[in-house]
Amino acid sequence: MSVPGLEPFAPEGVQWRRVSPRLATVQRIALLAWLLPIALVALVLAALLTWWVATAAVLALALAAWGWWVVGRQVPAWGYAERDDDLLVTHGVLFKSIVVVPYGRLQFVDVQAGPLDRRFGIARVQLHTASPSTDAAVPGLPPEEAARLRDRLAARGEARLAGL
Amino acid sequence: MSGDGAPTPPGPAPGPAPGTAPGTADEPVGEGAVPAAAAVDPAVTEHLDEPTRAVLADPGWRRLHPVTPVLRAWKVIAVALAFLVGNNLDELARIDVPAWVLLGSLLGALLVLALVGAVFSWLSWRKMRYRLDAEAVHLESGILWRQQRRAQLDRLQAVDVVRPLLGRLFGLAELRLEVAGGAGSKVSLAYLREEEAQRVRNALLAAAAGVRLEAAGGEVRADEAPQREVAEVTPGRVIASTLLSGATIAGLLVLAGVGVAAVWTRSPAPLLGAAPALLGLLSASWQRFSRSFGFTVADSPDGLRLRHGLLEQRSQTVPPGRVQAVRISQPLLWRPKDWWRVDVNVAGYGQGGDAGEQSTVLLPVGTREELARVVAVVVPGLGTPEESPFDVVSRGLVSTGDDGGFVPAPRRARWLDPVAWRRHGFRATEHAFLARSGRVLRQLDVVPHARTQSLGAAQGPLQRRLGLASVVLHSTPGKVAPRVDHLDSATAARLLAEQAVRARAARAAAGPERWMTRPADQPPAEQPSAERPLADQPPAGEPPAGHPGEGPAGVSADRS
Repeated sequence: MSVPGLEPFAPEGVQWRRVSPRLATVQRIALLAWLLPIALVALVLAALLTWWVATAAVLALALAAWGWWVVGRQVPAWGYAERDDDLLVTHGVLFKSIVVVPYGRLQFVDVQAGPLDRRFGIARVQLHTASPSTDAAVPGLPPEEAARLRDRLAARGEARLAGL
Repeated sequence: MSGDGAPTPPGPAPGPAPGTAPGTADEPVGEGAVPAAAAVDPAVTEHLDEPTRAVLADPGWRRLHPVTPVLRAWKVIAVALAFLVGNNLDELARIDVPAWVLLGSLLGALLVLALVGAVFSWLSWRKMRYRLDAEAVHLESGILWRQQRRAQLDRLQAVDVVRPLLGRLFGLAELRLEVAGGAGSKVSLAYLREEEAQRVRNALLAAAAGVRLEAAGGEVRADEAPQREVAEVTPGRVIASTLLSGATIAGLLVLAGVGVAAVWTRSPAPLLGAAPALLGLLSASWQRFSRSFGFTVADSPDGLRLRHGLLEQRSQTVPPGRVQAVRISQPLLWRPKDWWRVDVNVAGYGQGGDAGEQSTVLLPVGTREELARVVAVVVPGLGTPEESPFDVVSRGLVSTGDDGGFVPAPRRARWLDPVAWRRHGFRATEHAFLARSGRVLRQLDVVPHARTQSLGAAQGPLQRRLGLASVVLHSTPGKVAPRVDHLDSATAARLLAEQAVRARAARAAAGPERWMTRPADQPPAEQPSAERPLADQPPAGEPPAGHPGEGPAGVSADRS
C-alpha cells in the first residue's frame, strides 16, 4: 500500500503504465472517417448550390482539428498500474478520473479489438465487477500486453475471489 | 449418500406430488433418475420440521401447481383485453354494425385467444419442472427451446414469495430466487401452493445457509427460522406518507394549473389535456400505497424478512450479508413528521423493470428510531463503542459540517454547490462507509466496507481550480449510488487510499457465503441475532428483543 499522496490522481509510489500512442492514430482516423465526408459533401453542395453551405464544411473541419488536438492530449493521459491488491486506471485531462478495482471484485475481463484496432495492433481491456458503474477500461494496449493483463487479472481475481 | 440415508419423513408431502409421476417418463431430457449424490445430507435436514425436510429429502423433479396454466392464460386474456379496449375503442365504436354482432365477435375473439393461451400455458406447464438439492435449484422449461437452469445456492441473494391477487384466490404463490447473474437471471417458480412455496423457501434457505455444522447450536429450528419484528408500518402512516409525497404535490399543482387555465379559457380542454398526466401520477401514488401497505420488517437467522402488499402480497427474505448498500432519504414534506424512507441495493434486485423496483424498498416510511433499527440489521456493526447505531445514523441524517464525526467538504465547495455544500461529507466507521448529502432532500448512503465493489474519483476543471474532487463508491445495480462530492482533493486522495485498504480488510474478515457455516472463533459480526447491539439504543421506542408480537412503540405512538 502506498502512502496516501495529496493528489487523488497521482497516488504516491504508483508508476503509471501508459497506453500505446497508436491509440491516438486509431482515434484520429475514426474521427476523420466521419468528419471528412461531411466536409466534402458540404463543399460539393456549396459549389453546386449556394456558397454558405460551405460554413458546414468549415465547422466540420474545425471540429476535426479540435478533435485531433483533444485526442493528442487525452491518449497520453490514459494510464494503469497493477498494485498488489488492486488495479488503478486513470484517464482524462480536463475531466480527470481514477478507478480502483480490487482484484477480488473482478467478475470477468473483456479484451476487444475492432478492425481498425487490429490493423494498428492495439486492443482494449474492459474490467467488469458486479457494479455497472465500475467504468474501468484500458484502451490502446498492444495485443500481447492486453492478453498478459487479462490473464494476470484473471489469475489474481481467482486467488482473491470473494462473494459479491 | 442415497435418499434412504435421510430421515425419511412420514406423511403427506415427500413423494412425488400428485401429477408429478406420470409426466416424468416422457420428458425428452430423459434422465429422470437423479444422481444419488445430489440428495441432501441428513445433517442439513436434522433441525427442520417434517414438511421442510420432505422437500429437501426428495430430490426428485417436481411440477408446478396444475392451476398454473389457468392463471397464465388469464394473464394473456387480460393483456389482450387491455390492448383491445385501450387502443382500439374509437375504431370499434365507429364500425357500423349492430352492437350485439360487435360484442359477439369480440367475445369470440377473446374465447379463441383464451383457448390458445390455455393450450400454450398447459404445454409450457407440462414441460416445466424443478428440483432442489443441497447445492442448487434446477429448473427446466420451454416447449420447443428447452432451457435448463441451475442456480447455485451459495450465490443466493434473495428469495421472494409473491402472491398476486389472482393467485391468492387459489391459494397459490410464486417463488422467486435472485442469484445475481445479471438481468434475467432470476429463477421463478410460478405457481406453487402457498404452503409448498413456504416450505421450498425454508428448505432453500436452510440449504443455502449450510446448516450442517451444528449451526443452530442444538436448538431446534422451527419450520421457519424464528423471527424478531423490527419495524411495522401502520396503514394510517402509509396513507399519510403517500399523501405527503412528491407525486401528490405535483398532482395538485397540475390540477390547480389546469383549473386556472380552464376557467381562463372557459373550456374544459386543459383539463382533458392534463388527464393522462394526472392519471399517471395517481397510479404511481396508488402503486406506492399498495406496495407499502402492511409493510413489516423482521430479522431472523435466515436474514431479513420483508412482508408487504395490499393486493399483491410479497414476502422477501434477504440472507445476511446480501445487502450491498443502503440509502436513507426524505421527501421534503416528511420533514415535520421526521419520516424517512430506506432503499437498498441487493444484487439481482432492481434489474427486472418495475418488479425489481418494488423489491428494493427496505422501509417505505419510518421514524428515525425505526430506520436506525432496520439499518442496524442490514449493516451489522454500525455502532461504535461510543455511539449506538441510532446515534450514528441520526447524526448522518441531519448533521452539517464536521458534526457527527463526518469529514465535510471544505468551505470553498460553496462555489459549486451553494445550497448543500455543508451536507457533503463522509464518515468511515469500523464496518461501514457513510456518505451524507442533500440539504433540501436529505440523504444518507451507508455501504458496508465488505461490500464495496470498486472506488473512483473524478475531478472537473472547476473542481481542479478549487482543489476539490468527488469520490464515488461503486455498488451493485440499484437505487443507491454512493458518492461524496467536492471533497478537498488531498482528503479525497487519502479517502481513496484508505477506503481501498478498509474494503480489503473487511472482505478478508467477511463471513462465508453460507452464512451458518461460520467457524466458531469468528465474531458474529454478520450474524443477525439477539445480541446484535440494538439494546443500547436510547429511546424508549425499543421493544425488548424476542417479543415479536408487540410492535415497536414508535409505531403505535405515531398512529394519527
